[in-house]
Amino acid sequence: MQSELPTIYSITEDEIDLDALLAAITLESTGAAAIFTGMVRGVTRRDDPHETVYLEYESYVPMAEAKMKQVADEIRAKWPVIEGIAIVQRIGRLYPKTPTVLIACTAAHRDTGVFDAARYGIDRLKEIVPVWKKEVGPNGEEWVEGDYIPKPGE
Amino acid sequence: MNNIKLLFFATLRDRAGTKSMDLEIPEDLTIQGLKDKLARDFPNLAQSMSSVIVTINREYAFDEAVVPPSAEIALFPPVSGG
Repeated sequence: MQSELPTIYSITEDEIDLDALLAAITLESTGAAAIFTGMVRGVTRRDDPHETVYLEYESYVPMAEAKMKQVADEIRAKWPVIEGIAIVQRIGRLYPKTPTVLIACTAAHRDTGVFDAARYGIDRLKEIVPVWKKEVGPNGEEWVEGDYIPKPGE
Repeated sequence: MNNIKLLFFATLRDRAGTKSMDLEIPEDLTIQGLKDKLARDFPNLAQSMSSVIVTINREYAFDEAVVPPSAEIALFPPVSGG
């Protein structure tokens, strides 16, 4: 049964098509979807205020897609009621307001943990999926580095 | 000897000046041994070796692991996707 549940994971240079992804993870029994999408923020006010002209994303694609599948497997282990999962990271040069990442989880009802599942998905993607971004601003460019060091078995 | 493929991403690629290279290493070299060798052979990479993340055949790897034959080894900083 579980093997028939739709799981989509990909690194892409194409625009993220929310409608198509949502349709692909909606079953007859689905009544709720929690969707997180992140976009390029042109003006940052928190922490270190700055402006962003664009972000340049790159990925170790085959490993990234394998780790996205691992994140989906972890979601299903923690929330067995989840029906469909889509995890998509866009790479390349992306300008402010452009969606860069999408995590969507579907379930029969909204009170099933579906919000937590999507939240877990984006948090784990930012920990273990090998993608990096270089921030280009008005005064130069700088690689953004995360702070998570994977543990054995991750 | 063991012929491996090295891949560099993000800051590591900038410092290495290349996306990838083939390298001949002694059999049974560990990841720590590989990092020491890279720091010696490529001085630009030396400062990165203490904090670099290493993978063996697309799985996260740690200092005591032995590099298997013909491995694909990637080196990169902590990830920053999303």
